[in-house]
Amino acid sequence: MSEPGYRQILTQPRDHRIAWWAALAITIHIVESALPSPIPGLKLGLANVVVIAVLILYGWRDALWVALLRVLVGSLLIGTFLTPTFILSLTGAVASMLALGVTYYFSRMLPNWAPGALGYSVLAAQAHMLGQFTAAYLLLIPHPALFKLLPVLMTAALVFGVISGMIAAAMIDKVEKRAHSGTSG
Amino acid sequence: MLRRGDYLIFLATLLLLPWLYFTLWGDQRAGEYAQILVGGDQQALVSLHQPQTIEVAGALGLSILEILDGKIRFITSACQGKQCIHRGWINLGGEVVSCLPNQVSIAILGGEQRFDAINF
Repeated sequence: MSEPGYRQILTQPRDHRIAWWAALAITIHIVESALPSPIPGLKLGLANVVVIAVLILYGWRDALWVALLRVLVGSLLIGTFLTPTFILSLTGAVASMLALGVTYYFSRMLPNWAPGALGYSVLAAQAHMLGQFTAAYLLLIPHPALFKLLPVLMTAALVFGVISGMIAAAMIDKVEKRAHSGTSG
Repeated sequence: MLRRGDYLIFLATLLLLPWLYFTLWGDQRAGEYAQILVGGDQQALVSLHQPQTIEVAGALGLSILEILDGKIRFITSACQGKQCIHRGWINLGGEVVSCLPNQVSIAILGGEQRFDAINF
């Protein structure tokens, strides 16, 4: 029996797993936020590597948890919670998770057409950029000249998506090898 | 290593990007009318979709303009420099050709205006 006034919350292995991966994503997010960026909105987005790895290893629901925890806790620790930066970050994450979710559940019906880490990563980067851009246009800078920036940003998103996709593929490879050799990640 | 789904996503991206560049960085939409001015006063407002040649009497003499396929140019002008002729065809909203010696100028109206105002 637990003492009166206290209720013990039982955690499942899945909770621990999500917490570990989210911690990794948050750490990368914070380290990356220290890097300067040439154009506002242009970031490598290495934290998304973690989201893609979780998506492929454990499924979309876990990836959603990791992505949202990353945005929330990352913003609390950097000090951007509820600022425009946070809103852009959140809309980007939500947009990319929506695109990933649709593709993920669609590719379950057609397993032959399921993309790998690289495809998911490029898709996520593009959706992230589009979501963020839409939020920036609607909320921050509603000026048509902003659209001149969109092709450049989307090209950058493609490049960054390919880079993070390759990192995610290498990461998934290592995690799966460790899982097969008996030690837990 | 790459799967069919990956190629599908790459294909979609490689189609999306050129389309974005084309629509967002491409030419602004072409204009609809040409406003012909002599010494700052509007002489005529003509459609760019009606092929014709127009004679305009300027300060020095005749300027002859040609309209074809939605664009307009100077063919001959009574000036010395012939800069207006060398400017060639114009068709985008807000574009201007002017022959300062002869005081004849053409401005394209309609489409997306590229300049807010022009002073000279």
